[in-house]
Amino acid sequence: MNMDSTTALAADAHLIRAIQGGDERALSQLYRLHWPMVSHFVLQNSGSEDDARDVYQEGVMVFYEKVREGSLELSCQIKTYLYAVCRRLWLKRLTTKSRLHGVRLLDEEEYGPYLNTGAEDDLQEAEERDRRFATMSEALTHLGEPCRSLLEGFYLLEKSMLDLTAEHGYTNADTAKTQKYKCLTRLKKLFFASYKEV
Amino acid sequence: MQTEADYYALFEAYQRGELAAGARASLEARLSAEPRLHQLYTEYVELTGTLLAYGERRRARHTISALHEAMLAAETTPATEVASPLTYSVNPILRISRTERKLREFWSGHRATVGVAASVAVLAVFSTLLGLNLWRAANTEPSNGYRMLRLEVAQLKQSQRALTRKVAKTSGVPAAPVNNGKFSGTGFALTADGYLVTSSHVIQGADSLLIEGRDHQRYHAETVYTDAKHDLAILRIKDSGFDGFGKLPYTFKGGQADIGERVYTLGYPREDVVYGEGALSARSGFNGDTAFYQVSIPVNPGNSGGPLLDERGNLIGVVSGRQDDAQSAAFATKSSYLVRLVDSLKNRQPVQPYHLPRTNQLTGAARAQQVKRLQDFVFVVKVYE
Repeated sequence: MNMDSTTALAADAHLIRAIQGGDERALSQLYRLHWPMVSHFVLQNSGSEDDARDVYQEGVMVFYEKVREGSLELSCQIKTYLYAVCRRLWLKRLTTKSRLHGVRLLDEEEYGPYLNTGAEDDLQEAEERDRRFATMSEALTHLGEPCRSLLEGFYLLEKSMLDLTAEHGYTNADTAKTQKYKCLTRLKKLFFASYKEV
Repeated sequence: MQTEADYYALFEAYQRGELAAGARASLEARLSAEPRLHQLYTEYVELTGTLLAYGERRRARHTISALHEAMLAAETTPATEVASPLTYSVNPILRISRTERKLREFWSGHRATVGVAASVAVLAVFSTLLGLNLWRAANTEPSNGYRMLRLEVAQLKQSQRALTRKVAKTSGVPAAPVNNGKFSGTGFALTADGYLVTSSHVIQGADSLLIEGRDHQRYHAETVYTDAKHDLAILRIKDSGFDGFGKLPYTFKGGQADIGERVYTLGYPREDVVYGEGALSARSGFNGDTAFYQVSIPVNPGNSGGPLLDERGNLIGVVSGRQDDAQSAAFATKSSYLVRLVDSLKNRQPVQPYHLPRTNQLTGAARAQQVKRLQDFVFVVKVYE
């Protein structure tokens, strides 16, 4: 391993630590750093600027969630990892879009080897999570008001029970809490019903 | 019997660690003892965990798409970029506009092709120009407007060779190629006993010279003296059987001729003798050279070394060349230089004494008569290299 990649790995480690600590600036820096690579890759492989953006955002999301969980096991540079993830994502989109088998991608030698980066497993995990979130989103939609805004307020937007009590016009926090638990039981039925059957 | 909602309240309190030690212990005991309750708890954890993660995901997505907007904004207005407080260094990002980036992408993708195409184009242009220039230089004489008028007979020679080849084929015996000379010019008699005059450029580089008259009588000649500066050469016929030209009908003028005098010349620009006439236009030659006259006689390659005579049959000059970029401007060496040259040669104790003709037999004769008498003293000078 040469000096360049050693220093790059050190910089990557710094960056990951900063992102894990919730440093938005670090995330922003990372985002801008690798965007040209991915956009170039997608544009070269018959994608548009918007495609590139979607793919890249999804790829960064996978990376970001792994970092936040603290479960990222990076065996290569971030650059290579992101390239592998985005490559996989774009390949999937291309195959579904064109319904062609054996889509060939033009790869940049510079970012290889993109295989064996652990990106495949992470992506599968991310897909599973996506499915769960999609089910959750659907369940929440079917839940109806006021349960939906109550639960969204508490769990998704991280509002306090007091705020929610005032917002929804409950007489006291206990009523709101009781209401929340009832809503949760209903959500549970909806969620597990559709999640299990898939 | 507690409802599910009641259990949820319990679980939440348990998760947050708000339960008293006793209650917690009893719940934990029940969880391990009652599978139904355990499943309820697992579902609760999964549900709330998913909800929280979903919230996290939504926030992250929001953050990341905000990042993209921020990046695009930073690209268009790089001035608003705030210096990063991060102390560690990552690779610096080039801040370039979208158009420029596309151009750069194009450039990085096609750089090699563009480079090769450009160099091929440049090479092609320059080699074409150079080649054309060389070709033109090789095809034009370096005369800067002044054209020496000796005739190259290469073409003639080639056809001759083709002919001999044919003959050789039919006869089966290799015939000696008839050598017609590489160049030819004109010369004329200087004295009755075998001296001739021609231009020095006609005989330059000559190995041997052949003089051929109108009657196709051939003589071998040798160079006696050349004066490249005045473009004069004096030859002598060396054949032993040669017994003189006969009495020369013209005399050599020692002084200068006047502008406007009608002059004529005889020469061999082709196989037959050709007459040309005109007037004396100037007393200086190309680039103001006072050793030459300018005459308005149309002359051609092969005319060089021909005699230039005035109306009374005085020889006043030796045709030398012409100016390419001027209409009918020919040049002839003044006869005074020839006379002076002969005078100087007399002192060198020549093999044969110089006897310049003293009497002019052409004076008063009509032009046609003059030419008829003159043509016997004008010869083709063939040059072999």
